Amino acid sequence: MRTKQEYLIIYKDGNLYCELADIWIDPSKPVKKALITHAHFDHFTFGCEEYISTKETAILLKERVGDNIKIKTFEYGEEFKINGINISFHPSGHILGSSQIRFIFAEEKWLISGDFKLQKDDTCKQYEIVKTDYLVSECTFGLPIFKWDESNKIANDISKWITNSPEKTSLLFCYSLGKAQRLLNEISQTNFKGNIYSHGSIHKMNHSYRELGIDIKDTIKIENKKKIDELKGSLILLPPSLSKGSYLKNFKNIQTAFASGWMSIRALRKRSGYDKGFAISDHADWDGILEVVKKSEAKNVFFHHGDSEALSKYLVEKESINVLLFGK
Amino acid sequence: MSLKKFSELFGDLDSINSTNNKIEVLKNYFLSNDPIDNSWAIYLLTGKSNKRFISGRYLKNLFSQIYEYPQWLIDTCYLKVGDSAEVITLLLKNKTNSRKKKLSNISLNELLSETIPALSKLNEEEKNLEIKNLWEILPEDYHLIFNKILTGTFRVGVSIGLITKSISKLINIEEEIISHRLMGDFKPSIDSYEFLINKNINLQELNYKPFPFLLANTFEDKIFKNSINDFQFEWKYDGVRMQLIKRSGKVSLWTRGQELVNESFPELVEKMSHIKDDFVLDGELLVWNFKEQIADDFSLLQKRINRKSPTRSIQKKYPIIFISYDVLEINGRDIREIKLENRRIELEKYFSKWQNKAENNISDIFKICDLIYPKDWPDVLTYKEKSRENNTEGLIIKKKTSIYASGRKKGIWWKYKVDPMQLDAVLIYAKGGSGRRAGLYTDYSFALWKDQELIKFASAYSGLTNIEIKELDKWIRKNTIEKFGPVRSLKPEMVFEISFEKIQNSKRHKSGIAVRFPRITKWRKDKKINDADSLENAYELMKKIS
Repeated sequence: MRTKQEYLIIYKDGNLYCELADIWIDPSKPVKKALITHAHFDHFTFGCEEYISTKETAILLKERVGDNIKIKTFEYGEEFKINGINISFHPSGHILGSSQIRFIFAEEKWLISGDFKLQKDDTCKQYEIVKTDYLVSECTFGLPIFKWDESNKIANDISKWITNSPEKTSLLFCYSLGKAQRLLNEISQTNFKGNIYSHGSIHKMNHSYRELGIDIKDTIKIENKKKIDELKGSLILLPPSLSKGSYLKNFKNIQTAFASGWMSIRALRKRSGYDKGFAISDHADWDGILEVVKKSEAKNVFFHHGDSEALSKYLVEKESINVLLFGK
Repeated sequence: MSLKKFSELFGDLDSINSTNNKIEVLKNYFLSNDPIDNSWAIYLLTGKSNKRFISGRYLKNLFSQIYEYPQWLIDTCYLKVGDSAEVITLLLKNKTNSRKKKLSNISLNELLSETIPALSKLNEEEKNLEIKNLWEILPEDYHLIFNKILTGTFRVGVSIGLITKSISKLINIEEEIISHRLMGDFKPSIDSYEFLINKNINLQELNYKPFPFLLANTFEDKIFKNSINDFQFEWKYDGVRMQLIKRSGKVSLWTRGQELVNESFPELVEKMSHIKDDFVLDGELLVWNFKEQIADDFSLLQKRINRKSPTRSIQKKYPIIFISYDVLEINGRDIREIKLENRRIELEKYFSKWQNKAENNISDIFKICDLIYPKDWPDVLTYKEKSRENNTEGLIIKKKTSIYASGRKKGIWWKYKVDPMQLDAVLIYAKGGSGRRAGLYTDYSFALWKDQELIKFASAYSGLTNIEIKELDKWIRKNTIEKFGPVRSLKPEMVFEISFEKIQNSKRHKSGIAVRFPRITKWRKDKKINDADSLENAYELMKKIS
C-alpha cells in the first residue's frame, strides 16, 4: 500500500489538493488554480488566479459574484489534461451545473464526488455513475436515519401546508440556489395554484436557471409586492438568513417552514424555530451514499464533509470496503 | 380512520407554536372523533399514560436483531436523534412491506385497549414476532406513535392546561371546572370522556378530587410599595406540595402533579381519617426532624415519595409531617372564595379543635404553618436571609384579602427565595443531550481548583440560552481532548458562574461536597480559568451556612 504522500489527491489545509497538477478542489483560500464542483458559496472563494468548472457553474457563479473572475469551462465528460493528468466533469445531481470530478493518471482513477444526490430533480442533470479506483465522497447525511421521501410527496405536503391555512402567508425558507428552483418546479406540479413570490436573491437565480434552459415557473419578486394583504394564501420563498431578526416584520399572519434534510429529526425541527420542517435535501441519503460507493466499484474510499465515523465502520464491517483516512 | 387522525393531530401539535391555534386544533379533533378515542387522546396528551411496555433499549435490540443492524450503528443514530422510539421509526422507513398494511383502519382505542395490552400476555419470542408483525402491517405514518406508546415516551408540547382550555371552549364551561374534572386518575373510557364534557356540573362526582392548586409567582420589587400589613408571611418549605382531602370520611392525598399518593404515606392517611370533620387542606409534606423541629433534607423525602407501602422501620427512619397553610373546604362548604385572612382563622380554629382530642394525637404528623411577622420590608429581607438556618427556601408572601384562585394567578401569592449560592467553575466535560437537545452537547460538568488540579464538583444542564448552547456546542467540538462514548473531556478554558441552593459534605464525590439544583447563571467570558473558585472557597461557603 502507498503512503498518503503518494496519493494522487490529498487533504491539505482542510482542502482537497492534487499535487501533481498543482490544482485545488473547491478551495477555501485563494490559490493559483481551483476546480469548482458547483456554485454554492461554501465551495467557492474569491482571489484564485484561475477557476475551472462546467459551463453552467461558471454562469451561475458570475451571476452571483460578478464577471471579475477568470473561469475556464468544460462540458460534462470532456477530458482535459493538466501535467499529464486527465481530468473530466460528470453530473452529480446536486444542483444545476454541479459535478463530480474524475482524475486519471497512469491508469489509476480517482473520483471526487462533490456534493451529490441520486433523487430525481428536473432542474439539473441526473447523477452519473462513474467507475473509479479511489472515491472521495461527501457524507453530509451519513447515518441510516436519513432516508428521503420522493420529492413529489414533500411537494404535496408543502402544498397542503399552504392550502390548509388560506388566511395565512406561508414563508418557506430554502437555499436560494438549487433548492429553491427544485422546490418551485415540484410545487408547480401540485394542487397549489396560488401566487408564488420569491426574494430577490432567489429571483435572480430563477432567472439564470431559465436562461440556461431549465423550465421553471415565473415568480413575483417579493420586493415588488404592492400590498401586504395580497400575500394572504400565497407562498413566499426566502433564504434562511432572513429567518431571524426584523425581516419577518414585513409580513403579517405568517406561518414559517424550512426545507432541509436535517428536518427529518424531530429535535432539530423543534429547535430550528420554524413552525414546520420539510425533509428534502440535495445531498444523498444513507442508501444513496452506499449505492454510489458500491456502483463506483471503488476499492478505496475517503470521506469528507460530514461525520464519517459510523459510515466508514459500517462499510468496513459489512461491505468489506477499504475506507481510508486523510492524514490531517 | 381515527389513528390516522390522531397521527395528524400529533403532527399538527408538534408544528404549531401558537397556543390559540393548538386549542383550535384540539377542539376540532374532539369534535370529529368518538368519545372513546377522545378519552384515549386526552390520556396520551396529558402524559397520564407512562406505562412502559418495553424499554427503549429492548426496542433497539429487537430492531437490530430483525433487520441485522449492528447495535453500535443504532446507538450512533440515537446520539443524533435522542429518542429510541424515533430512531427506530426513522430506521424502519421503507423497510416494511407496504402492500400488507392491514391495520390502516385501526382506531386509537383498538390500538391502546387491545393490540398493545395483548403484547404483555405473550412470551418474549411471541412478543418479538408480534411487534415485528405490527411494524409490517401498520402504515408507516403510525410507527412513531406506536413506538412511543410501546416505550412509554409519548410526549408532545401540550400541557394539561391546554387540554383544559380546549375542552372548556368545546362545551362552554369554566376552565376551573374542567381542570377539576381532569385532576387525578383519568381512566380512558366513554364514561370518563362524557363526564369530562358533561354540561351539568355535579358536585358529588367531584368528591375525591383536589382543587386546582394556586401557585405562587416570583417576587416583584413593586410589592415593596404596599403596606406590609396587607400581607401574610410564611416560610417556603422545600417538600412536596399537597392537598389533604377528607370527604365523606375518606382521606386522599393529592400531589400537585395530580398523583394520588395515599399508599406512600399510610400513617398520615390513618391519623387524619380519625378526625370527625371533613376538609380540604393545602400544604406541604416534609420529612421532619422532630428533635430540632426543622425540615429535613429533600433527599430524605425522596426516599419516601416513590416507595409504596413503606415498612414501619422506614416510617420511623424518615418521619413525615404535613404542614398545612390553607383550608379550602370545610364540612362540604367550599370556602376558596373567602379572604385568606378569614381562611386562616378557620384553619387555626379547626386545628386547635382537632389537636385537643386526646384520643387522637395528630401533632406528631400534622401541624399548621407558623406565620412570620416582619416589622417592615427591610425586616422581610432579614427573615429571608435567615431561611437557610431552618432549612427553608425563603418566604411565601400572600395577600391577606386574596381568594384561592387556580393556577399561577398574578397578585395573590409570591415566592421570595433566598439568593442562591454561587461559585465560578471551569467546564471540563460535556455530554450529548437527549430529546429536543439531541445532537448538541448540553450536559456539562464543572470543576473547582484544588492546588493545581481541577476537581469536578457539579453537573448542570440548564441556564444557557439556545444561542449560547449552540455557540458552546461548536466550541466543545473544536476543543475536545478525548471522547469516551457520549462524553467528551474538554480543554479547560471556559468559566461559568454556577448557582445552587444547598451545599453539604458528601463522601460519594471526589470533591467531598454535593450541591443541590446546580445551574448555570452566567457564562463568564470575562474570566480566565485561574479566576475560577477553589474547593477551599466551597468549604468556606459551607461553613458560613451551617
